[in-house]
Amino acid sequence: MSSRALPPEGALGKLRSFWTVFSSDRAAVVGLAIFLAILFIAIFADLIAPYSPYERVGRPYERPSLKHLLGTNDIGQDIFSELIYGARASLFIGFLAAITGTAIGTLVGIAAGYYGGIVDEVLMRIVDIWLSIPSLLFAIFLAAVILRIGGIPMFYSVIFAIALTSWPPVARLVRSATLSIKERPYIESAVALGASPSRIMMKHILPNVAPLVLVEVVVRTAIAMLTEATLSFLGLGDPALKSWGTILHFAMVKNALILGLWWWFLPPGIMIALTVLSVVLIGRGLEAYFNPRLRRQ
Amino acid sequence: MKAFLIRRVYSSFITFIAVITIVFLLARVTGDPLAELENDPRVSPATVAAIKAAFGLDRPLHEQYLNYLVNLFRGDFGYSLHYKAPVMDVIMQKFPYTLALLIPSITLSNYLAYLVGLEIGWRRGSRLDSAFVGVSMFIRSTPYFWLAILFLYVFSVVLGVTPLFGAVTPGRRFDWSLDWFLDYLWHYALPFTVLTLRGFLSELIYVRNVVVDVLGEDFVMTARAKGLPDKYVKRRYVARNAMLPITTVLGMRYAFLIDGAIQTETVFSYPGTGRLVYEAIFNRDFWLLQGAVVILALSVIVVNFVIDLLYAYLDPRVRYR
Repeated sequence: MSSRALPPEGALGKLRSFWTVFSSDRAAVVGLAIFLAILFIAIFADLIAPYSPYERVGRPYERPSLKHLLGTNDIGQDIFSELIYGARASLFIGFLAAITGTAIGTLVGIAAGYYGGIVDEVLMRIVDIWLSIPSLLFAIFLAAVILRIGGIPMFYSVIFAIALTSWPPVARLVRSATLSIKERPYIESAVALGASPSRIMMKHILPNVAPLVLVEVVVRTAIAMLTEATLSFLGLGDPALKSWGTILHFAMVKNALILGLWWWFLPPGIMIALTVLSVVLIGRGLEAYFNPRLRRQ
Repeated sequence: MKAFLIRRVYSSFITFIAVITIVFLLARVTGDPLAELENDPRVSPATVAAIKAAFGLDRPLHEQYLNYLVNLFRGDFGYSLHYKAPVMDVIMQKFPYTLALLIPSITLSNYLAYLVGLEIGWRRGSRLDSAFVGVSMFIRSTPYFWLAILFLYVFSVVLGVTPLFGAVTPGRRFDWSLDWFLDYLWHYALPFTVLTLRGFLSELIYVRNVVVDVLGEDFVMTARAKGLPDKYVKRRYVARNAMLPITTVLGMRYAFLIDGAIQTETVFSYPGTGRLVYEAIFNRDFWLLQGAVVILALSVIVVNFVIDLLYAYLDPRVRYR
């Protein structure tokens, strides 16, 4: 029987033992608290934001006031409201891109590790080649290429560009985990019982690499959020989506820097740094529980 | 060593072919390079057909691919629509600025990361260690471009001690005078500081962790048990054994800092290859972007190759595997 079939008390006990390990890392708990706060802002953005970030609600380039806490941008939209909605866009894109990238990496890693031989050889060679291109440069090119197809919303082009550049490290990690799981007796019995390779990979290997993959999703979310901010800052993001990177893009293009409008370009950067840091801290806490021996660089 | 060299040259070549093939496929599959002309009612279909024939775009895909390969090896990377010049010329004109920015910056930040990382790893658990680890984790969470914005704002806008943009004062032409060089350095200071500082602080943690790992080894315990002085153990036992993994990771930075340069040069309007990538996006100059990607990927492959040789030199086990 798999561990998932344990009675609820067992699951509760597991959760408790997880929390004991996780909460012993004070930084991870702080990270979780910050992250939950930002998640709350993202979910209830419509209720928290004083204005719609898409409407003109004041004169252009207003300074911070009680009416507009962080002033207004070049077309009179409330920057504070943009910042609140930015949490939604940045978290959503980062998480979706990380999930997609990790899924690709997991499938490739399991296939390479399980089949071995020529399949492994070819897949790992592709991983090597992929890793030899600087990832931001590659993501920029991919985003630009996907935009050229036309008919695909810019929002997806950023997600695909990040996902397609972030899977190779995951594939490597999952492959090496698969290699060791493959040698276990229960896989041998499954083979002897006549289980198909796809069944073995999905039913027996995937659940066993799941903890690894979970940690990887968190780690990848942090990286994906940074990449999203950078792509959007460079003007490859969806201007209608208003992620923190997009706000910074317009701040730069509309000369907020030279005009000294710090309320426009400081807060989005602080939010990016805080969110990414909180996710990184959570990732470290999870890692301490799921792979205590595997230390990441 | 010879067998190793041959194997390495071969795999670098395969990687290069793979990269340019990926770029070709992505570029050709996703778009028609003449779409804009075709949709312009002022241009007759006959003209479009003539242009297509002139550039070989009417040929089957495999012929186009061969053409593309031949052109690349001739150094022909296409034509930049925005600069109205061959892509190769545009990139080569900007490349020296980026190299002059990146090489000293990576070297200095690697050296600092090594020095400080060794020290705080040695004193793991101390207050100094946790302070550096905290700062390092925070810096890793901030994008290059935002740090650049912060520096530009504080030093150029608020304090007014550094210039707002460019690599030299506008209109100034290159000559061998000290004046020109000082002007260049004055523009160089901020982008250099941002790249170096972020590189140093974000690599620091890696060096530290390697050092902590080595400290856990039995031979370190033995050396100390023998009563060797701390300084000696640190230099001869810890630093030496930490050297190999550190070389790999810090060496790779020569290949990958272009990601940072794209962001930093963009914010400082620094006329290097990184800023060129941004301009290519901004102006929808697809051929320039494609050329930049190929040339930068090629330099990455060359750097990786050099690092592998260095590694084989440092660690004989690699050569004889």
